[in-house]
Amino acid sequence: MNSNLQLDLHPDTDSLSAFAEQALGVAEREQILAHMTRCSRCRQVIYLAQKAVEAEALEALSAMPSGRWYRSWRFAWVPAAALAAALALVVTFYPRHAAPAPEMAKVVPQSAQAAPAPVPQEQASAGIAFKPAPVVAANSVAENKKLAMLRQPPEELALETAPSTASPRGSGTSTHSAGENNSARTPSTKSVQMRTQQEPPAQFNPEPAVDEWQQRQRMTGALSANANTTQASQESMKTAMDRAQAGRSAPAFAVESHTAKQAAPAASFGIDTQEAVSGSAASRNANQPILPSGLAAISTATVRQRMLAIDVAGALFLSEDGGKHWESVARQWTGRATAVRVQAGAGGAVFQLTNVSGFSWTSADGKTWTVQ
Amino acid sequence: MGQLPVPSSPLLNGLWRESGAAAYGLEKEEFNRILHRVGTEQDYGLEPGATASRRQQAGFFRGLRLADLTLARACASGHEGAWEHFIAVYRQPLFRAAIAITGSETLGRELADQLYAELYGLSARDGVRRSPLDSYKGKGSLMGWLRTTLAQRHVDHHRRTRRELPLDNLAEGNEPPAADPKPGKLPAELLLLAKAVVETLEKIETVERFLLAAYYIDGRTLLEIAPMLHVHEATVSRKLHRLVDGIRKQIVKSLLGYGLNKRAVQEMLGADPRDLDLNLKKILQISLPDAFQEKAAL
Repeated sequence: MNSNLQLDLHPDTDSLSAFAEQALGVAEREQILAHMTRCSRCRQVIYLAQKAVEAEALEALSAMPSGRWYRSWRFAWVPAAALAAALALVVTFYPRHAAPAPEMAKVVPQSAQAAPAPVPQEQASAGIAFKPAPVVAANSVAENKKLAMLRQPPEELALETAPSTASPRGSGTSTHSAGENNSARTPSTKSVQMRTQQEPPAQFNPEPAVDEWQQRQRMTGALSANANTTQASQESMKTAMDRAQAGRSAPAFAVESHTAKQAAPAASFGIDTQEAVSGSAASRNANQPILPSGLAAISTATVRQRMLAIDVAGALFLSEDGGKHWESVARQWTGRATAVRVQAGAGGAVFQLTNVSGFSWTSADGKTWTVQ
Repeated sequence: MGQLPVPSSPLLNGLWRESGAAAYGLEKEEFNRILHRVGTEQDYGLEPGATASRRQQAGFFRGLRLADLTLARACASGHEGAWEHFIAVYRQPLFRAAIAITGSETLGRELADQLYAELYGLSARDGVRRSPLDSYKGKGSLMGWLRTTLAQRHVDHHRRTRRELPLDNLAEGNEPPAADPKPGKLPAELLLLAKAVVETLEKIETVERFLLAAYYIDGRTLLEIAPMLHVHEATVSRKLHRLVDGIRKQIVKSLLGYGLNKRAVQEMLGADPRDLDLNLKKILQISLPDAFQEKAAL
């Protein structure tokens, strides 16, 4: 029984703490639970003890160094991949969207070109830059030339106009006076579209035009520039990934070690223990093991060549060769693992794992864990 | 009671070596005596009065936190090295736990200092220094024991001081309201309902009773209850829902059994609980006689 002076019948402190740590047998646990059902004092004691455990766990977590700037690089691949995907989409679909325009012009009868639609007065008088309508574009070179002659544009414009009517390049390179616009403008989009609807759809075949346009774009270097851009973005993504890897593999933590304090009793067992006892502030060895998770180890324990480490996320790793190679240990405990240590057991040293709630599991080989 | 392991037995030698008792100058004989005392006090984890075989004794001893137990006993006996180790390992966590329990740094430090003084054995009885560490039996971890001790101290202090609050402190506005006039005789339907509730609650199991007490009487959250039952809070939520549904169904069944029709039962379930002359807290906390026969040790 505890040392306080209350005369009620309560379980002793040892039993209550063992109850909170799930260290009791079924029968005894049932007894304590039955008592707690009707004893608000003991319930309150356990709640408060539990609260202290949680506060301790939070303290241990907050004592860990906060995320450094380079840690954020681990997520750099997300925007980089999104950017690369967006660029790939643009490169893939941009020519296909641009190409059908010349084919629409293909169905325009010659007579339509001769009868230009009236131009709105304000547009004619404004003297704005001439933007060729998509219908102006012709599939055949002859038509292009004819149109070019009608408009009297510069030569390079005539060559460029055909497939790239939707391209800002072609549209922005030529300027004409209002008079020229008036005389040379071919049928408006509206009129051509109306006519197009009357034509059988089987005639619509944009592929050759697209190919032709792509070839010309390659010649002019536009497409290769796009490809270069994609390559550059991939390289930048790779660089970002490399940086993220570097950030993960070389964390620079402020090390606070309690090893010297802990080592005294362990030394008598001939065991090397490198962790904080009973869930106190997590200690760190100066030589942080590099875990497969890439996260820092908050607690490690070593018996000869066998080494266990818990990373910041609570994952447990086992190394059989003194920390050179690590393997993940399947989770057999509840809650977040916060500490691992070496405990003297009946058959020699055993590992003991503690979670945030203070409950413990033991294992002789570091792989199979049993609740205490 | 089971036989004492002989001092030269391999079991004792192994346990003594593994516990690190030698570091605190604890000889094998003394270690054996401590183990025997702990085992006897707890009936080696068996039913009271049962005789433990050597194998059962060995199993019991292996289940103890021997390193913590030897440290506690060495501290209680005043071993300097043990105290140095204790302070190095437990001082800061103890302060933090006390602060978390009291919710105040000042009160927490005061509570922890007070416990330290007790642990160090400043209190004496019959001229012999007594330390609460002597009562640690190694079932759970020493840190868990310290936390629970702090919590007990705090709860007991809080209850004592509240009980001893002078009447002058009761402001006029805070006076307890006058008792309601004695309620008249309850209608027969409500008496039946009260009877059904009592019968139902008396039948529920310990864990369910604990759930109801923790959730409805203490007002604890699911998150607070879950660690006590070592389950996830979602499980607690499910259990609670199932339990409440079950209780409701059982009450309905009981009422139907009393000869009421369904409509009358539904109407009764809609009754204001305040109309019932029931002390649910009392009903929930009625249980089998206490199995704990221990009284204050000090």
